[in-house]
Amino acid sequence: MPPELKPTYSMDQDVAASETAQRVAAEVLETMFFTEAELDPCEHAWISPAPAARIHFEGSHFGEMLLCVSTEAVDPIAASFLGLDPTEVTDVQRGQMVQELSNILCGAMLSQLWPDSTLALSSPELTQWQDWPAEGTLHRCFRTPEGLLGISIRLVAPSLNQATAARTSEVG
Amino acid sequence: MAYSVLIVDDSPVMRSFIRRVLALSGFEVGECMEAGNGIEALTQLSAHRVDVILTDINMPGMNGEELLRRLGADGVLKTTPAVVISTDATNERIVRMIELGAQGYMSKPFTPETLREELERVLGARDASGA
Repeated sequence: MPPELKPTYSMDQDVAASETAQRVAAEVLETMFFTEAELDPCEHAWISPAPAARIHFEGSHFGEMLLCVSTEAVDPIAASFLGLDPTEVTDVQRGQMVQELSNILCGAMLSQLWPDSTLALSSPELTQWQDWPAEGTLHRCFRTPEGLLGISIRLVAPSLNQATAARTSEVG
Repeated sequence: MAYSVLIVDDSPVMRSFIRRVLALSGFEVGECMEAGNGIEALTQLSAHRVDVILTDINMPGMNGEELLRRLGADGVLKTTPAVVISTDATNERIVRMIELGAQGYMSKPFTPETLREELERVLGARDASGA
């Protein structure tokens, strides 16, 4: 990232942000997806073919979040969310579940990190995983009984965020 | 007593999830209707009797804020309470939605038990008011 676009605050240096990410991921997965998530070492061989979603946020803070769910975890987690058998999950439901999970994780993390903020989230878009530079990025991988999840979140300069956010609307 | 519920959310999987959670919660649901945005919700409300509305905020076409504005102006919220379900738990957002007439606000994630408690609270308040 060019120096002039670097935000003055780096999420990777924020202990509270790291703890919040871990707590929120575990809480969201347990409460709404009826599974467990525990911190796991980041070994990213699994990540490139896996479905991912990206979401931008803006307001009192500007940034973006990426979520990736390993291919073996997608169907069980979607099935658990929807009350279906994993074999019944459709391609459309698979994508919508990854988008919804990214939306819930991002909204919950930001609300807990900055409860007095004013933030708007974009609609989550399905995408491919990108390894963002470690500096400034809070990245964690989690293991569920079914597979793995990867989450990256970073702040960006407003001009960069506006340029990359194709569709930004208020949070849902 | 079984209550009729209108779920307003642009995400089909989220609507399915809320249906599932309602069933898991033990809350007695009679008819359960769905709408993908505020416009569809107004259409449903004009055609059906609804006891409680569960609405998202961010939806294309007509969002949850505008839906609440319309329902408040029409007096619908006096007899049909609305509970907002959103990922946004910032203080400003909650205050704004309550000021627009929402009787309840639930931030995700939420459990079946907390959903049932919130529905019982808003419907209890409605019934106590004699609306």
